[in-house]
Amino acid sequence: MTDRTNQPPSPSSLSRRAFLKGGVVASLTGAAVAGPNGTESVSVTRESAIATSLKGKVAVTLEINGAARDVSVEPRTTLLGALRDHLEPALTGTKLVCDGGNCGACTVLIDGAPVASCMTLALDAVGHNIRTIEGLGKPDDLSVVQEAFCAEDGLMCGFCTPGFVMAITAELESNPRATLDELKNSCAGNLCRCGTYPQIFDAAVRAARGASK
Amino acid sequence: MKDFEYIQPETVEAATAALATKENADWATAKARVFGGGQDLLGEMKTGLEEPSALVNVKWIQGLGGVTQADGGNLKFGATTKLRALEGLFSSGAFQVLSEAAKTIGSPQIRTQATLAGNLCQRPRCLYYRRPEAKCLKKGGDECFAYGGYNKFNAILGGGPSYIVHPSDMGPALMALDAQIEISDSKGTTEMALDDFFTLPSDGDVTRENVLRPDQVVISLRTGLDTPSEWRSTYLKFQERDGFDFALSAVALSLRVQNGAITDARIVLGGVAPRPWRCREAEQLLLGSMEAASLAKRGAAAADAALLGAEPLEHNAYKVPLTKGLLQRALRQLTA
Amino acid sequence: MSTTPQQNADELAWPAPEKRRSIGKDTRRIDGPAKVTGMARYSHDVRLPGMVYARFVTCALPAAAIELDLTAALAVPGVVEVVRVVGDSTLYLGQPIAAVTAETPEAAAEGARAVAVTLTELPWAVTAEQSLAPDAPKVNPRGNIGRERTQEEGDIEAGFAASDAIVEATYTIPIQHHSCLETHGMVVDYRGGDSAVIHGSVQGTFALLDGPPDSLGLDASMVEGDVQHMGGGFGSKFGIGIEGKIACEIAKRLGRPVHLMMDRETEFHASGNRSGNSVTIKAGASKDGVIQALVADSNKLGGLSGGSYAGLPYVYSVANFSSTSRSVYTNTDGNRAFRAPGHPQASFGMESLIDELAYAIGKDLVEMRLANLPDDEQHSVWRRQLRRVADEIGWNEHPYKSAPGPHKVEGGREYVEGIGFGISVWGGGGYPSCEVEARVDREGSLIVSVGVQDLGTGSRTLVAMVAADEFGLEVHQVTARIGNTRFGNGVMSGGSVTTASLAPAVKDASNKMRAALIALVATNTGKDASALSFADGGVIVGDGLRVSWRDACALCPAGGLTTHGVFQKALQSSGVHGAQAARVRIDLVTGEVKVLKMVAIHDMGIALNPMAVRSQIQGAMVQAVSYALFEERLIDADLGIALNPNFESYRLANVHSIPEMTVIIDDEDGRGVIGIGEPPAIPGIGAIAGAIQNACGVRVRDMPLSPTKILIGLEELRRS
Repeated sequence: MTDRTNQPPSPSSLSRRAFLKGGVVASLTGAAVAGPNGTESVSVTRESAIATSLKGKVAVTLEINGAARDVSVEPRTTLLGALRDHLEPALTGTKLVCDGGNCGACTVLIDGAPVASCMTLALDAVGHNIRTIEGLGKPDDLSVVQEAFCAEDGLMCGFCTPGFVMAITAELESNPRATLDELKNSCAGNLCRCGTYPQIFDAAVRAARGASK
Repeated sequence: MKDFEYIQPETVEAATAALATKENADWATAKARVFGGGQDLLGEMKTGLEEPSALVNVKWIQGLGGVTQADGGNLKFGATTKLRALEGLFSSGAFQVLSEAAKTIGSPQIRTQATLAGNLCQRPRCLYYRRPEAKCLKKGGDECFAYGGYNKFNAILGGGPSYIVHPSDMGPALMALDAQIEISDSKGTTEMALDDFFTLPSDGDVTRENVLRPDQVVISLRTGLDTPSEWRSTYLKFQERDGFDFALSAVALSLRVQNGAITDARIVLGGVAPRPWRCREAEQLLLGSMEAASLAKRGAAAADAALLGAEPLEHNAYKVPLTKGLLQRALRQLTA
Repeated sequence: MSTTPQQNADELAWPAPEKRRSIGKDTRRIDGPAKVTGMARYSHDVRLPGMVYARFVTCALPAAAIELDLTAALAVPGVVEVVRVVGDSTLYLGQPIAAVTAETPEAAAEGARAVAVTLTELPWAVTAEQSLAPDAPKVNPRGNIGRERTQEEGDIEAGFAASDAIVEATYTIPIQHHSCLETHGMVVDYRGGDSAVIHGSVQGTFALLDGPPDSLGLDASMVEGDVQHMGGGFGSKFGIGIEGKIACEIAKRLGRPVHLMMDRETEFHASGNRSGNSVTIKAGASKDGVIQALVADSNKLGGLSGGSYAGLPYVYSVANFSSTSRSVYTNTDGNRAFRAPGHPQASFGMESLIDELAYAIGKDLVEMRLANLPDDEQHSVWRRQLRRVADEIGWNEHPYKSAPGPHKVEGGREYVEGIGFGISVWGGGGYPSCEVEARVDREGSLIVSVGVQDLGTGSRTLVAMVAADEFGLEVHQVTARIGNTRFGNGVMSGGSVTTASLAPAVKDASNKMRAALIALVATNTGKDASALSFADGGVIVGDGLRVSWRDACALCPAGGLTTHGVFQKALQSSGVHGAQAARVRIDLVTGEVKVLKMVAIHDMGIALNPMAVRSQIQGAMVQAVSYALFEERLIDADLGIALNPNFESYRLANVHSIPEMTVIIDDEDGRGVIGIGEPPAIPGIGAIAGAIQNACGVRVRDMPLSPTKILIGLEELRRS
């Protein structure tokens, strides 16, 4: 009954500590040791009794869609902000809509599980496998879920679409024989204003048929 | 939001040490916040309700997540256990209430990140509390604006001077299992009944919903039933919008059934009071045979007793019949 | 590039159904793959070198004198400038008062928070009661009540005298938010110099040229507007708004690209709304179901604007009636068009009243409607449509036809089902506006260009479909270029006019190109053009000839062929009827309303892309479920503060709210194309409200139809 999703990346993982490069390490009291411009410092060995502290600009590497992407963020930068506004080039397929975890438009997968990237700190995503809508299919090589959305007209203005596609993709990857009810539950956190839900259900069922083949 | 320092301890000791500053002994002056799933705190920071200068991330602390066996068939849940992990764990028995409650919370996206302790410690969803421009009692002001305002979602039990309702679903569920909560600070670890953890506006700090100090970290939750194998439980929550909403009213019900009779019961209400609301007198009325007609009668009596002290505000009288109905429905489902 | 003379173009008509090759067939959106992969670029997504991000600071009160101290905001690292965007005082809750521009969105948000705003409250009114009070502050300098309109017919006194039952009731609808997922705003690509590109989330591409050139101090010919994709408008995005104006001004000052998209909270209170309404009706009916008299008096609540209301008795025919409506101004943002402005509000009141009268005289709800729908030839379609949806929803087998179902939990029954109905009317139809260019080159490309935008209704796909149909090509063989002011004029997407304005012009351009290509082949082969035609696959056949599309195109002059199309009145018409039915299940324990099924029938002439039409109609029904059950702008009437400017407490329907849906396309082929955006958004809320009463006897007269109100209603019925 161990909750695996809850565990931090393994302590020996390089990626976990990799983002300390250029970061700031602090003592127990949390006092930051800043470099000359307040942005640079060196990585220092940590013992478990020492709390790492990060402040200001932090250079991190995010593993996005299978590629290591370097990006400079602040502790307050959300994963959504990192994707849309700080990565060069930006990944803007993930949408900012409610900025409060209420609509699902910013859904990305972290280690296969759906999260609201607007309610996730970019720093917390370091060392994890991040997948965005750009990491599924391409327009001429759509994923099963994307193809199903096109076939069933599961989109109108399309602004909610990446979030729905990601939520349903996550469900089908962990539960290829998902029922319609399970598929609905998987996107209960996603809102669509054009009202494409009925077609999204059709698309989800079609994708489930394709996924379970 | 303002930027902040992000402190990432790997041990409880390092976390509590980082929190152990003088100003952090008191909510009024505290600048650091414990950061787990962040699904509430980040929202508060985005709207400016909270402006911490430091977050202490407890997700790297080994052993703070996950579920382990505790005494006598009880279970211990690490504070950072994700709701997503809880929702599929129990489909029957004493702990079913936990999975049923977890499933009703937020969305799959939120449950991936949200933690058990975070669900207990989240702040109220009161429409006035959530507006930065409304300096209400909860924010150190002089008035509960909901009391004379739009109070459809507010308290009918235990209200005054603040009329928030506690938004937690795991709180009622855990209290229905006699849970204990373990809390650490730089001086050590204490454990208390979860029932004693939550406070009412009238008996504690009106700006808070529990006794936790800002320099403390929740470590674990442990169920405390006598012989869990004899218990069964359920959680019924009613929302304005089905799926992805907070409770208008919720009932956590657990029953101990021995030799075909109910010998012990817990009724804990959510969404109707400033804290998870235990109904001790009503619980006693449930004890007795499992015969349907008798049970229905006792269920009705228990529902009346549970809501006896209800004092609805202008827009939330519906919560009385709703809660009574939910309690009786929960009883029917749990004894069917 | 040469423009081909308009020669030999046939008289324009839509092909007979059996001759349609692309149109009339379910067709995938051609921009679907871009949208499902995140490749579709919306205004929000435009990223430019040196771009700055701007954000509004808004007024937390309905009216206040404003003092600003910008010192702290300017000191926030990354903030580039902070400007006041309001005069001495504000007029509405949520009005932008300052704009903060920064290098990053995070810094802009922090800067916005750091603007020290001192509000000195001025007198205000946010409810009709406050606005109409004797000592009310003047919301509008000319008075708080707009022009009153009254329509009257017949002899009301006599009508009431002939009535066997009289119902008096007040029905209210709160203000609804458009809730576009992409907020209002634009990205202004101006880097100094004498040109600019504006990427705007608007419903009319050419609106981007209305204002920005002046703000940027540029010649209009040097400004390009671009709307490749936009994330919902629903009537709220016709102009560039204050957000567009301010964005241009910032760009002009800084000489840098500016990204100014409203944050969600600002969007809720400063980007328009559907006006609320309160109508008090007294009406009487005779035992045969005929409404003998109706007197209605309604207040429209559209904030600083007038509000909209279609008037009563709406679609029904009442011999003796008087219907009065007026706007009551409040200190909230002005309402804007929202899918069938004024119609859902009127429909809700009228359908509710008919139900209540029907129960008062013990009449079947469908029979009651049939007794009052106009019976002239033009409108007889409603009767057929109503009967059809009644059949589909299961009315014939339904037990509660002339009296509501039970309200008590008895014998283990905790749920009860009910059915309700609504009727709609809308105009639609097109007008001259679109200028379409079709171009064929020697390599066989067919490119159809027009500046029109696609709101998600499928306009881009439609352009390709109509052109493809003309030549027997596959839809994907046509390149549709839209959403840019460099192309020919488009049409604002509002009032369900886009398809009927656009498709005839595309058809016209395509038809001319067809004639031009045939003429070209005829000239080159010495055949008689009148004997040639396009077969499937773009092949020109006739008189023993068979020329492939590519071979025909290869005959083009070096610059290719270009034709231009404009509006063709004969290809379109207007006037859309419709009927919807809803079946709901009420949980008698909790008051929960579950809409189980909805059925819609609407006529729309030729459904060019039936798949997109179904999506449009289903989307309208989803919006009706959301509007009926959840949506309500909340403002504290004493404090004047917004209570729910977010998607947590302003609830939209989610996956669990959605009923099974049946859409019947009531094709009336001879009428050409019409448009179906607004009509299906009208009847749903009245149908759902009626279904609730039909199920359990509780008539909720104020939307939203929350379970909390139904539960209280059930309690009252049980006590009485």
